[in-house]
Amino acid sequence: MVRVKSRYLLCEINVSDRSNLLKLDDRAVAGAVRAAVARIHGDYGAALCSVRFCVKYLNAHTGTVFLRFPKGCYKLLWSALPFITSIESRGQIIPCFFNCLHVGGTMRTCQKFLIRYNTQQLHQMLPKCKNEEEKRQIREAILSCTLTGRNDETFEDELMSEEDGE
Amino acid sequence: MSAAKAKMREKKMRNQPVSVQHPSSSHGESRAENGGGQSDARPSSQRQRAATNRSGWIRGHQRDGGGYAREMPKYITGGSFARARAAEVNAMLKAVTKTAASSHLFQGLPKHMRRRAMSHNTKRLPRRLRDLANRMREKSLQAGPKKKKEPAKNKSRKARRRHGNLLLEFNRRQRKNIWLETHIWHAKRFHMVKKWGYCLGDRPTYKCYRPCYRAMSSHCLLQDLSYYCCIELKGQEDKLLAALSQLTSKEAGPTFAAAMCLSGARRGSVTVYKAGQYPTQPLGPVTYLWRPPTAGLTHRQLWIWAHPTLKQDLLPELQSVCQCSEAVVPPVQPEVSCAEADPGIQAEPKPDSKLKPGAKRKKSCKDAAEPPAKKILGDGTRLPGTPVTWKSSSTGIVINDLTMEIVRYRLIGPQSHSVLTDTLEAATVCDAGRTELESSSPWWPQHCKDQSNMTLHQQQTDVFNILKGVCSTGEVPPGTVLGLTVDDPRLNLPKTKVKAVPRVSQLQEADEEKRRELMLRGVPQPCCQSSLWEQSVRDSVTDNKMSEQELNRMKSEMLVPGSRLSPTPPQGRVPILLVHQPGKQVGNELSCWGAGWELLLPKGWGMAFWIPLVYREVRVAGLHMSLKHSQNKAVPHFPHDYPDCPAGARFQEEQEAEFLDKFRRRPPAKRTNYIKHGCLAPFRCPWQQLAEEWELLMTEGGAEGKGEGQTQSSTKTHVEMEEATPQQHRAEANPPIRFNVLRNRKSLRLLSGWCRPTTSKGQRQWRGAPPPPLSRAAVTSFHSAHRMSLVWVRLTLLSKGKPETHAMVCVPTAEDLKLFGKKQASSGPQERPHKDHFKCRMKRKKKGLKEAAPSLLSSDDGEGKAPDAPAASDSIASKDPQSASDLILGLWPDPLPSVTSHCTRVTLGWVTQGDFSLSVGCGEALGFVSVTGLLDTLVNQPVEHRGTLLLRNPTSLHYRFVKLNIDV
Repeated sequence: MVRVKSRYLLCEINVSDRSNLLKLDDRAVAGAVRAAVARIHGDYGAALCSVRFCVKYLNAHTGTVFLRFPKGCYKLLWSALPFITSIESRGQIIPCFFNCLHVGGTMRTCQKFLIRYNTQQLHQMLPKCKNEEEKRQIREAILSCTLTGRNDETFEDELMSEEDGE
Repeated sequence: MSAAKAKMREKKMRNQPVSVQHPSSSHGESRAENGGGQSDARPSSQRQRAATNRSGWIRGHQRDGGGYAREMPKYITGGSFARARAAEVNAMLKAVTKTAASSHLFQGLPKHMRRRAMSHNTKRLPRRLRDLANRMREKSLQAGPKKKKEPAKNKSRKARRRHGNLLLEFNRRQRKNIWLETHIWHAKRFHMVKKWGYCLGDRPTYKCYRPCYRAMSSHCLLQDLSYYCCIELKGQEDKLLAALSQLTSKEAGPTFAAAMCLSGARRGSVTVYKAGQYPTQPLGPVTYLWRPPTAGLTHRQLWIWAHPTLKQDLLPELQSVCQCSEAVVPPVQPEVSCAEADPGIQAEPKPDSKLKPGAKRKKSCKDAAEPPAKKILGDGTRLPGTPVTWKSSSTGIVINDLTMEIVRYRLIGPQSHSVLTDTLEAATVCDAGRTELESSSPWWPQHCKDQSNMTLHQQQTDVFNILKGVCSTGEVPPGTVLGLTVDDPRLNLPKTKVKAVPRVSQLQEADEEKRRELMLRGVPQPCCQSSLWEQSVRDSVTDNKMSEQELNRMKSEMLVPGSRLSPTPPQGRVPILLVHQPGKQVGNELSCWGAGWELLLPKGWGMAFWIPLVYREVRVAGLHMSLKHSQNKAVPHFPHDYPDCPAGARFQEEQEAEFLDKFRRRPPAKRTNYIKHGCLAPFRCPWQQLAEEWELLMTEGGAEGKGEGQTQSSTKTHVEMEEATPQQHRAEANPPIRFNVLRNRKSLRLLSGWCRPTTSKGQRQWRGAPPPPLSRAAVTSFHSAHRMSLVWVRLTLLSKGKPETHAMVCVPTAEDLKLFGKKQASSGPQERPHKDHFKCRMKRKKKGLKEAAPSLLSSDDGEGKAPDAPAASDSIASKDPQSASDLILGLWPDPLPSVTSHCTRVTLGWVTQGDFSLSVGCGEALGFVSVTGLLDTLVNQPVEHRGTLLLRNPTSLHYRFVKLNIDV
């Protein structure tokens, strides 16, 4: 199809103090990315960043963020992400770094990847539990997300096929 | 973003996850408006599912610290971490699984499962989606009442073409416009136009302009003129004449009382005026035919033939003149309009079936279940109850509207008589034995019983046979009438088309004598009688016409195939009238061009005569060719060339609308800019303004001109005219006198004599006193007698050029004439292009600089003569708003400036018909010029160039020299 193509980066914001994570908001993240790009790539980078760049989704609890970049220059912009060391949000400077988990051509693939990634994480958490209470909570969480998404496997298949296509 | 778009977007984004952020404690702004998500969803799966109905995602800031902690947590626990992940997974799952609502079902399918035309046929979808798809499809079908109504299912072609259904359809289509009897024949071959309440053929679909001209000038051209309306007047001769004399004047030529016509031996033509209004308010030309007087009776019958547009003016006038106000509602024969043309000679139709207005029943059809269609004969648009007869109790005159009662064919051309004699055969006499048997219906056997009728018939037959020997139709005295009874012409229809040729050589000496008699004296008077005048005979003939089917059956039963059917069936006799139609009577050259015969038939017999005529290799023409015919004859054609008649005025309006519409259909850049060509009125001729302006010019110029005498040049008039603006005219000429066309024969003859150079050899001999020579005094007296009048002129181009409609007739200046005298073949002067002030004004209007307009207006009035006429400019300026609204690029807006003096040559008049004349071999134009202007011009012109004028087409700047002729 004929459309404007973009790249979506699924990033994880890692903070030293997890409570700081809740203070994040999408404008702060976008500003931090812009500043970093401008610092690393100068005016050229800033200009590239001004077009079609946006933060599509931010979950302050988990620290996941979807960034959209133009397809032509996403590598250049991506290269600036490691240089972000802090985000200024709500008058506080939150030290953090970005960890890119996935690069996708559509939001949908990113979402699919996120589903897989999160379930994996939950599954990994389960054996490492320290007490019963925690174990119970995690099990509940796993069940809640698996129960609604009964047809997980079909999506896995679709995901695979679409990834193949790309 | 529009509301619909926003709604669409919201629908699309419904399932997509929204960012989860903590509400800011310091600034209250952050995303609080996403409050839809501030639900109290619990981490428990049930609550979550309930929440999904409302929004796609549970926000991070639940009040009771559900999935996410409401307050900033002090420390992190594994449980909250896991819950957060689980909630995110759920949101993402929803986003991934649910497709956007706007899209179709199958768009959610993977590509390899898509099939062609899935939206059309739900069975192509996977079964699990079919129900949904069906539901959606129904919904969309219900939502589409805006869709066009499905066209009613037509009957099959076979059903439509079945005879009864076809007739019903034809009758339905005839309700609005009258069809002639030859309509179907014409509709297959002609471009049909709806005019004057009729469907008429305009011109054939094949190319035949020159063949038609050739037919007119050397063989025969056939036209169906049945649309002409016949009005019958019955009453005492003296009373009729007294009534009709109010409508005419002897000055304009012979009236209804012309001796030749009154005897019934000739057909006459006359221009009718409103009662007692003679030089003003004409109605139009009519032709008339008196029924030959029967011995000892003063009761007379008169047919007046008028054009349909003229009839609506003429009929009330006739009624008032004859005091015939009592309408006779037709009680006995309610079907005056729709006579029975049923095949066969069965019994009389039942009266109740006759009374039915719409679908009538066939006589043979007994059952009432399905009323079969009936062929409409005559006027199908008229309601059955409409009166067609008016009676006067005081004068005893009866007016009868015979519209569409009589079929009228016109044959034009020198060989039209041979076509007639070929086609028609005088009726064979019935033997008495048969008449006794069938005394009921056919009129002929009864007619045969009377010996006097038979001798008359024999005489008529003789005359008709003599016609065969005539070389050219033009030799017969104009307007001759011959009554006749003929056999059904379908009986001797040739197998193939044969060309009718004159048989001159076959004649003997005795016939030669008779022929000379015919050519000199015309048809002897008793032979003009015909049974066609009798209403009862006409009805009987129409009713008893043998159908084509029956005739063919009889033909097929003959022993020798292809031989003539004999004896002629008794119902196969038709009374007809042959009326000679004069050719070119005016002018010196090509006299008798376009003479012909007219064939009058009872209704119902149209096609029976048409096909045999066509089989004699005649050309058939439509309205277009009849216009050309009168153009070649140099006679005015009704209603085109009668601008002073109400019908002519109506025609002019129609024509202007038509031309304007055509003009407007072109893109503005491709239109002719008539302002630049100095053409004020390309689509209509402002005759009234022209006459008024010339009148004013004469009264002013006459006062001054006396001192200057003959040297007054037209440039002088030009200057004078510019000062006189049309507004001033209107104010002075109050109350306005209507212009009229000069039809006084004496004056016309005088004017005609003045127009041609004195050396011309073609000058007519004057009976009695010679005409007064052209002088100022004569002109003044002539002018005082004919104020505000126009005269019909014929203009012959002296060099090349093809005149067009609405070309301007102008007066040459003295220099032009000098140039013309030196070199006869000089092509003529040029008009310099005019400036289009309206164009820039229109542009300015577009820009919105409205305050600039009045000043500009005053400047372009009278081409920069603004200071002279401040009042005029003011008046124009005041009219400006409405004129600017309908400003068309390239056309003058409505209050026209002075039409006479707009160009460098003074305008005398306009051309109404112009074309390259095939008969003369050069361009010829017919039109009107102002009598006042013409006289002024003639007086000022040198003797050798008298009658030389200039002609300029609306689309050209080139003037051409023309020779003026006034034919009497």
